[in-house]
Parts: sequence; structure tokens; C-alpha cells
Amino acid sequence: MTPTSTPVYLDHASTTPVDSRVAASMAEVLNSETEFGNPASASHDYGDVAHALVEQARCQVAAAVGAAPAEVVWTSGATEANNLSLFGVAQYYRERGRHIVTSRTEHKAVLDPCRELERRGWQVTYLVPDREGLLDPDQVAAALRQDTVLVSIMHVNNEIGVVQNIGAFGAICARHGAWLHVDAAQSLGKCPIDFAGLGVDLMSLSAHKVYGPKGVGALAVARRKDGSRSARVQLAPLLFGGGQEQGLRAGTLATHQVVGMGLAFELAASISSTETVRIVQLQRRLWQGLAAIGGVLRNGSAAHSVPHLLNVSFEGVEGESLLAAIRPHLAVSTGSACTSALAEPSYVLRALGRSERLSESSLRFGLGRTTTEKDIDTAIAVLSREVQRLRGIAGVQSVRASAAVPAT
Amino acid sequence: MNYSELTRRYFESPANVGELSGPGVFRGAAGNREAGTWVQFDLRCESGTLQAARFLAFACPHTIAASAWLAEQSVGRAVTRTLPESVQELRDRFDVPVEKMGRLLIIEDAWLAAAVPAIDYRG
Repeated sequence: MTPTSTPVYLDHASTTPVDSRVAASMAEVLNSETEFGNPASASHDYGDVAHALVEQARCQVAAAVGAAPAEVVWTSGATEANNLSLFGVAQYYRERGRHIVTSRTEHKAVLDPCRELERRGWQVTYLVPDREGLLDPDQVAAALRQDTVLVSIMHVNNEIGVVQNIGAFGAICARHGAWLHVDAAQSLGKCPIDFAGLGVDLMSLSAHKVYGPKGVGALAVARRKDGSRSARVQLAPLLFGGGQEQGLRAGTLATHQVVGMGLAFELAASISSTETVRIVQLQRRLWQGLAAIGGVLRNGSAAHSVPHLLNVSFEGVEGESLLAAIRPHLAVSTGSACTSALAEPSYVLRALGRSERLSESSLRFGLGRTTTEKDIDTAIAVLSREVQRLRGIAGVQSVRASAAVPAT
Repeated sequence: MNYSELTRRYFESPANVGELSGPGVFRGAAGNREAGTWVQFDLRCESGTLQAARFLAFACPHTIAASAWLAEQSVGRAVTRTLPESVQELRDRFDVPVEKMGRLLIIEDAWLAAAVPAIDYRG
């Protein structure tokens, strides 16, 4: 089968195309003869102009997530923000305690720093979500110890789209005296974010998930004093050099990058309710079409997830063959990590109790601004054809009716 | 993962998918679906010659392609105690990554499970 056209892009949870308005704002900075200055140069107007652009973007990002501008620290992306949170808290509070609580379904950018901290002598508790991917606040409360310094739980899961009850975790952490870090890379534009209202101390943000540029993100660091906390979170920096970003992130700021992120966040925060309804309808159309194939299982809670993601497993189909069959037609993410010639099944789906085979034969569909009804119908048609073809080759005679059921 | 043109062709349009029945049909299978790879061959033999072959495979594209190729190319050949083409030759032909050598051995096991009992069959 030779593709007759460009594959349909249904991987917006992986990354998004840059909004043309964002690209234009970045190009303007890059092409300008007055905006190229170092934002940290206070001794001339060139620096002041760049500084003003950076601060304007900081206000845009802060407003989009319910933070104060002074709480926004620029980073190279959510991965760096996660690393700064985990290593920064661990290092700063190492004399107070060396225990961290996180979950089995976090992004690698949280799990890998946790593993590294374990190698360095910290202890980490990995909470196991229920079969729908949800964590119970009581689990978090029960995992807290006298020496727990940090709880790190993501807001919207990047594989299954499940939204955690962050507000409840915030209250528990505040009562206990542990800091709460939230990886919110997938949240903006998909569900409301209220940094202050949720009681979060540290929140990782990313530009390229919301039609902004790659290579820039931010960490929101709580500076509020609202009575629920006896102190404000402190971080040991990862980088040393110029004292930029309140001493938390040394290095000359990339003005064009942060300008792009600022505008992308402003646009994402002002997304219309009609667009959200459109995405909800497209996701419903996709799920109904896939379910009609038979033997298709939905992964993650349908009731507690963003409409922009749909993760399903196909019974009776080998994972690598499924991906190879649809690849000429569809750009989606697979449930296996192809780190070598042999795929590893998704650890997120395994944590939900899915078998290795169903974890490998899963696909994640990421819907976004560019997704059309025609894209959805193409995806359904391609999958219907290829799943039936592969089941025929596999000698799988029949599969049970599809259902939006959790793993069994 | 990138696949060779031949692998993609035999994966996307495999001939000889299915099963055979009746006199002179020998069936061999190896692997299992739960472990990720399962292959089955049905071989119809007469006087030591392969008359027809069909395969089924719950497997990766390399394994499906190699199984399909064997089922297609072996018809008319003598049935022997070896694969019509060695595992190493199959690996080279379909550019199979070394990590997947075990899957080619499953193909060999399935083929021989059907072929060896068929060698002395005279109808």
C-alpha cells in the first residue's frame, strides 16, 4: 500500500504545529534590529526592549495558568521544569527528608529523575492508579511520611488523557507540609488550570503542546502566602552562571522563544467553548467508529479525561504489525516504546492492568485544532480495514464486542 | 521501524494466508499469541513434494513477510528436514534485525513441525 497523500496527523498530544501568529511573533523578534538585545542587559535600551518582551510573555503565561508573573521561571521545556522541581526540592530539603511520592503513570521526565534520586540515596514511593488510571487522594495521604518532602503527580496523563484530582492532593500536601509538584504539560487548552486555586507549589509547563515553539517551557514556583502554608517552596538550581530567573535558571533567555510561548499560552487560554465542543464531538465520533470494529478496548477513565486524547487497545492484533500497517496513512502514537528493534509495552497501560499484548496493540489518538471530521473518518476506515486484515492473517476468528471497560 | 521493500510487500499483500484441510495436509505451529509471536503452516504433500502451503501468523511484519514468502516459494519443492531457505538466508532476504532472530526460529519450528511428518507420506 502506497500512501496517496500525507498521513493524517492525529498526534497532537506529542506535539502541535506552531500557530502562524506565534511563528510571526517569533520571526519579528528574530528579524528586528532593536529586539535582539540580551534581556539581562540593563545598561542600554536594546536590553530594555528585550526585557520588556520577556516580561510581557511572562505575564501572558502567568495569566493563562492562574499564576502571578513573578512565579514564572523560564526553562527549556517541561522536562527541564520537572528536573528542576525534583532535583531542586530534593537538594534544598535534603536535611529535612529524603522521601518523594509519585505515581507509576508519570511521564518519563518525572520517573527518570526519581530513579536517579533513588540511586543517590532518596526513597521514592510509586503510587499505583486504579484500572481507569485515577489516583485516590487517600492513596496520596497514606503514602506521606515524616520525611516526605515532595509529591509529584501529573495533571493530565500524556498517554491516556486522564485528569487527576489535583485540588485534593494540594490540600493533603499543604496539611502535611510536603510540597506538591504537578506536570501540567498536557493541560492548557484541554482543561482549566488554576495554579493558585489548586494549591500547587510547582507546575511544569510546555509551549509546544499548545501550538508554540519547541525548546521553551516554564516552571511556575509558588510565591503566594495564603495561610495554608507556613513557608514558600525553595529550590536548589540545576544551572549556575548568570543568576537569571531569580537565580533558579542561569543562562541568557531566548527572547524569541519566550515571546512565542507567551502568545501561544494567551491563545490557548482564550480557546472558545465551541472549539472544545467540536473536539468532544470528534472524539465521540472516533470512539464510536473504532468500537464498531469489535474487540476494541478504551484505556483510561472516559468520565475523567480530556476529550483531546483517546487511547484504545485492539484485541487479536500484534502491536508492531498494527503500527506498520497504518503508518502510511495515520500519524498516531503507539502503546509501545520502540527503543530498539523489539518494542516495550507501555508502562502506563501495564500500570492500569492491561496485558503486555493489549498494551502493545494500543494506539493514542491526539486530537487538536487542525483535526477535521474527514480526518476522523479516514482513521476509522484505515483501522477497520487493517485490523480486520491482520486478524485474518493471525487466524483470529472472532473478538468480543467493544466496550468502554477498564482493564480486566 | 523501517522495513525493506520486500518485507513491506510481503507484509502488506501476503499470499497463501489461511488453512488447508483434507488428506495429505500436515499442520505445524509454534510460539503463542500471548508471548507475542505465533506461526502456523498447513502443508499439503504428495510423494514427497509440496503441493500447497498456507500460513497464519500473529506476529511482527518481518515474521509475517518471511512466513508468507516460505508458503509461496516452497510449492513444488521436495519436502525435507530443513527449511526451504535457512534462517540466516531468511534474515538476509528480509533484513531482519538481530534482536528478532528468535522469531525466525519460531517460523522454523512451525515449518518443521508440519514438514517432517510429511516427508514419508505417500497418500
